[in-house]
Amino acid sequence: MLTYIIRRLLMVPLLLFGVTVLIFAMLQFLSPIERSALYVRDIPRNDKAVEGIIKRYKLDRPMHEQYWFWLVGTVDASTGKRAGGILFGDFGYSRTGAEPVATLIRNRFPNTLDLTIWAVAPVILVGIWLGVQAAVHQNSIIDQAARIFSIVGTSFPTFVFGLLMLMFFYVKLGWFPPGRMSDASSIIVRSEEFHTYTTLLTFDALLNGRFDVFLDALRHMAMPILTLSYISWATFLRVTRSSMLETLRMEYITTARAKGLSEHDVIFKHAQPNAMIPVVTLAGFSVILLLGGVVITETVFNYPGIGQAAAIAAAQLDVITVLGFALFNGLILIVSNLVVDVLYAVVDPRVRLS
Amino acid sequence: MAETTPSGDNTLLRETVSAREIGRMERFLGPENYRIVMGLLKTPASIAGFILIGFFILIALAAPVIAPPVNAKDPYKIPRDGFKSEPQPMGSLWKTKQPPLPFWWESIMGTDQWTHILGTSQGQYDVFYGIIWGTRTAFRTGLMVTIATFLIGIIVGSISAYYGGWVDNVIMRVVDVFMTLPFILAALILATILTPRIGKSLYPAIIALITFGWMTYARIIRGDILSIKERDYIMAARVIGVKDSRILFRHIIPNAIFPTLVLASLAVGDVVLSFAALSFLGIGTEVGYADWGQVLSFARNWITSLDTYWYIIVWPGLALVMYVMGFNLVGDALRDVLDPRMRGKT
Amino acid sequence: MSNNNDVLLKVVDLKMHFPIYRGVFQRQVGAVHAVDGVSFDVKRGETLGLVGESGCGKSTTGRTILQLYKPTAGEVFFKGSNLVSLKSEEMRWMRRQMQMIFQDPYASLNPRMTVAEIVGEPLTVHNVATGKEIQEHVMHLLEIVGLNPSFAGRYPHEFSGGQRQRIGVARALALQPSFIICDEPISALDVSIQAQVVNLLEELQEQFNLTYLFIAHDLSMVRHISKRVAVMYLGVIMELANRDDLYLEPMHPYTQALLSAVPIPDPVADVNRKRVILEGDVPSPVNPPSGCRFRTRCPIAEKICAESRPEFREVKAGHFVACHLVS
Repeated sequence: MLTYIIRRLLMVPLLLFGVTVLIFAMLQFLSPIERSALYVRDIPRNDKAVEGIIKRYKLDRPMHEQYWFWLVGTVDASTGKRAGGILFGDFGYSRTGAEPVATLIRNRFPNTLDLTIWAVAPVILVGIWLGVQAAVHQNSIIDQAARIFSIVGTSFPTFVFGLLMLMFFYVKLGWFPPGRMSDASSIIVRSEEFHTYTTLLTFDALLNGRFDVFLDALRHMAMPILTLSYISWATFLRVTRSSMLETLRMEYITTARAKGLSEHDVIFKHAQPNAMIPVVTLAGFSVILLLGGVVITETVFNYPGIGQAAAIAAAQLDVITVLGFALFNGLILIVSNLVVDVLYAVVDPRVRLS
Repeated sequence: MAETTPSGDNTLLRETVSAREIGRMERFLGPENYRIVMGLLKTPASIAGFILIGFFILIALAAPVIAPPVNAKDPYKIPRDGFKSEPQPMGSLWKTKQPPLPFWWESIMGTDQWTHILGTSQGQYDVFYGIIWGTRTAFRTGLMVTIATFLIGIIVGSISAYYGGWVDNVIMRVVDVFMTLPFILAALILATILTPRIGKSLYPAIIALITFGWMTYARIIRGDILSIKERDYIMAARVIGVKDSRILFRHIIPNAIFPTLVLASLAVGDVVLSFAALSFLGIGTEVGYADWGQVLSFARNWITSLDTYWYIIVWPGLALVMYVMGFNLVGDALRDVLDPRMRGKT
Repeated sequence: MSNNNDVLLKVVDLKMHFPIYRGVFQRQVGAVHAVDGVSFDVKRGETLGLVGESGCGKSTTGRTILQLYKPTAGEVFFKGSNLVSLKSEEMRWMRRQMQMIFQDPYASLNPRMTVAEIVGEPLTVHNVATGKEIQEHVMHLLEIVGLNPSFAGRYPHEFSGGQRQRIGVARALALQPSFIICDEPISALDVSIQAQVVNLLEELQEQFNLTYLFIAHDLSMVRHISKRVAVMYLGVIMELANRDDLYLEPMHPYTQALLSAVPIPDPVADVNRKRVILEGDVPSPVNPPSGCRFRTRCPIAEKICAESRPEFREVKAGHFVACHLVS
């Protein structure tokens, strides 16, 4: 297993290199002047000044030089301030956000993470439970319902689903409002007594003992959570079901039954652990789904996360910002894929022992 | 003939040779593929799917008859009835620039006055017209993206599997890199970059979806080729002295391509979903282009009064969901049929 | 049948090792010694039987002879020219003269090609014939192997196992080769069909003066068709002799053990004969035993057997044995 993990770790720099090259390649569609937003906040109108910037930030140099410069940036000798250098966390300046892309991400990512955590946990628990039930009671009502649910679920565009949710639960019933929090909560959160521990609103509210803020946050997140996760529910359910069905057909399950184990033990001690192996892979994949999904979901519900910022930037053709988000998402995915693969190796004895 | 037939039991053999009568279809497709097709035709879910797909194909073909365009040269431009911002309810009268009446109108509606059957959206765009012509857009984009991604995937996957070694390694790592970016976000970026360069049209989104959509096919076809490569009939072809290129095109690809082909044809639905998502975010076509995502995106500005203007999301949304569901129903049945563990059960 | 005893195929110390890669950098950590120093001759017009348990390397030997795998070491002379040193285009040309019949008639025919295309493909790729000539040739070939030519337009899955094997035979015959490797051609067939196919092969041999290397996994199968028989164990030939010598007077303990396992249709003789029962399993070809490959299971093994590899020597005229303890 160690060999496997080491090989997997060696892949990380390779993937990082690949992703940066891919994004750098897309940057090349922009003119040097447009690209100067990677290094300076305001692009001057004066031709001479523009030329100076292009020279200083090597925007007219050969590709490989530009790429390297983009990676490490430069340090101003007089002020000691760094400009550019994605390896140092400087992704350039966002026109639509009116601040550095990195700052924009730092301010908004906690909101997205908060949302994602609350979306993932129920998916994994409920989706797996439903999948096991559907498999154990194959062709029963629950199985058929699960099947219909998954087909309808995967056919529903996120934004149509979101808009329908808004129509019923916000406009008609007034239960769940869009946005992040109510004005009342916002005043509490901004006050002196409210300490920031994790930057995730729901967790901070709990840690501060402010249940009103916590509930208010959940109320605002209810619709985004459901919208973000229903596709993953459908997928999780399908994969768990088919994997479970396959396992239940194995002969060692027949043996377990034949030796007189209770059906409960057969399913939960013998079948489920083995059936969960492909589900682990899916858990990693669902992170990709979710991160893709936040763009639409946050836009529909006016939720201030990185997805909404990316959508706004895209609509205004602010490429530097969108690329910054892509780079950031790429990093997250590389790390989460790594974690999943290692987990997979730990869970699956066939990988673990080879 | 007797001298040339050494085996004495030939008469017996000739009589038993066609113990199984085989239809033309099965002979044409081969046993494996025939099983897949028959499996699909026997499942109620996939039949429902085929009916839905057929229904949309009919609408797309008959679009000029169902909703005659005002300007025949530019039928994808949704005709607008004035410039007022607020959506008009279903069945309201068509006031200005009435398009030609379709032949079925009077007999079914009992009037010779065009009305907005499904209402108008923001800016007085006719929702009905947008849905009907949007069907064509859905098929156009879906087919273009699917065919292109399929071809790229097949070529890349074949090269990777056929050459193996470091070529395979490099290509598969490139695939990994392309898959590292979330699909919608990656497509969003590329479409954002391309829009100012090639103008607002279907193409920025189409190119973006192609660029980040070919990887799955490459992986699948690569796996299938690798497994076919090990079959005895490939070895047999080498024994005969068949050249490598002929082995690839005559023996490997025809046997490996079918599952990928079927999967690709079902992806037409998914592509439309992604395309609509990009349209909804404001990337893609001009305002007023007959495209479901575009029609739906008007709803973003009317969220607080969606209870009144529900028809601006429900009808285009329904069209989109039904369209995608048609493909998904067939796809779901296909997964069961393709699953090797289900073999011999249909 | 030709009476001259000249050698058609000569295999000299042939080795085929498949490397095993492990670890972070996929370094080679070992190799499967599938074929490990095999030498024999095949004479024009004869059938040489090659027998061994599954996994002993007999099929690999056949495939390596045809250069389907690049041999690790050794030489293969066919009609005097060394196949190992041929360039790929020269080898492709050489394939016209040497063909193969496969074990699994299901797997060895391309399911997307008609019988006519399958049987005609050798003619097409070697530009032997064109268009109509190919058609006529294919019809003729189908008749020769006992198939109705009117089925030429059908696909392999429309035929039974025995009929498919006939298609495979027709394909092998298409280029009028002089040498055919039969890689367990009847093992996958029903017992009732096996005799038909063996008879067909024998008749074809006589008619076209063919030379066969007939691979099988049990001695009783090759007894009927072979003129000489070689017994293989763990990548090495243990004994090679004329059929009658080998069956009546087996010298190598492994051959003796194999023969004693063949049932005799005579209850009295069956009870009275001496049984040699082998113990243990076939060792892994990744780490084969030192010295004699068979020593770990040999009932008479001695110290020397572990120390040096027994020479494959001619003990009697035409009777080769690889054993220290046979004199």
